[in-house]
Amino acid sequence: MRTLLLKLGATVLTLGTTLASAVYVTAHLKNPSAPLQPAVLASQPGGPVGGLTITPGVRQGDVQPVTSTYAS
Amino acid sequence: MRPRPAVEAHHFEALGTSCSLFGLGVSQTQLLKGEFWVRELGTRITRFSDRSELAALNRAEGGWVDVSAEVEELLRESLRAYEFSAGLVNVAVLPSMLAIGYTRPLAEGTTAATLEDAIPAPPLSDVLTVRSRRARLERGCGVDLGGIAKGWMADRLAVQLGPDALANIGGDLSAIGPGPRGDGWPVGMGGATVMLQDQGAATSSARRRKWGELHHLIDPRTGLPSRSGLEEVSVVAATGCDAEIVAKTALLLGPGLATAYCAAHAQAWWFSS
Repeated sequence: MRTLLLKLGATVLTLGTTLASAVYVTAHLKNPSAPLQPAVLASQPGGPVGGLTITPGVRQGDVQPVTSTYAS
Repeated sequence: MRPRPAVEAHHFEALGTSCSLFGLGVSQTQLLKGEFWVRELGTRITRFSDRSELAALNRAEGGWVDVSAEVEELLRESLRAYEFSAGLVNVAVLPSMLAIGYTRPLAEGTTAATLEDAIPAPPLSDVLTVRSRRARLERGCGVDLGGIAKGWMADRLAVQLGPDALANIGGDLSAIGPGPRGDGWPVGMGGATVMLQDQGAATSSARRRKWGELHHLIDPRTGLPSRSGLEEVSVVAATGCDAEIVAKTALLLGPGLATAYCAAHAQAWWFSS
């Protein structure tokens, strides 16, 4: 009788945890304020194609470049 | 406050492309020595000369070949690039390069393409073995150091010219020190100017070295020129060689995966389709 109660308790606990997790996940599909990984300082318009994306490790300048990556 | 020294610049053509060296507090003689180093190493790593170390490795038919310290380091860097790019940057694409007609310097024109000979590249780590001053390539394989060499040379040159210098070898850049105004070396990339300080940058493009429907950026998975949906990718990374690897990998991955790859490995990036 005691074994049966333990099994029943464990089953109820498992089902309850699963149900609670499912409810929580569906209620928290995404967190819009979650930080991007890695942090992105700036992304010019254009989406995945056409925009320059800069992380905090790079600074954008307002001076004439001395050279460029377009050579080959 | 002491005025900052003027920027010395030197431009030249080598390795079939344009190169530029810049330095603060360096002499023209030092910049000329840099050019000489590029040309001298270029003669050892070109696949277009039978006398180069690379040509000797490619025709060794599976035998061990003596290599210089620089070539040994370049081959090790190629193996690192292969791992870093999950196999997408694979220098063992020489058979495909020859199949698409890139058999000689592009200034001399291409030859007829035999695309049926273009085959997926073998896993580099399976076919290339590098030991101290020796290397071995499996029979039937061939390597073309291409962009890896440019990025690697830019990194070495910037260090040689340092502590405040910028090297541009065919669009693969390496910048060391605070630059002319103290806020980095201004470099054009993706239609903007980025200030590089102890960083590298590179553009991988299918729009250059292109003839007809063919271009030189081989996808090692197919052995054919890439058709990923991206034609140009520019990247800022920790070094010039890393920038070259990340840019090429992102281009081969295509627009669906390139952003995630660059977010993990680059400091700035720009795509064009």
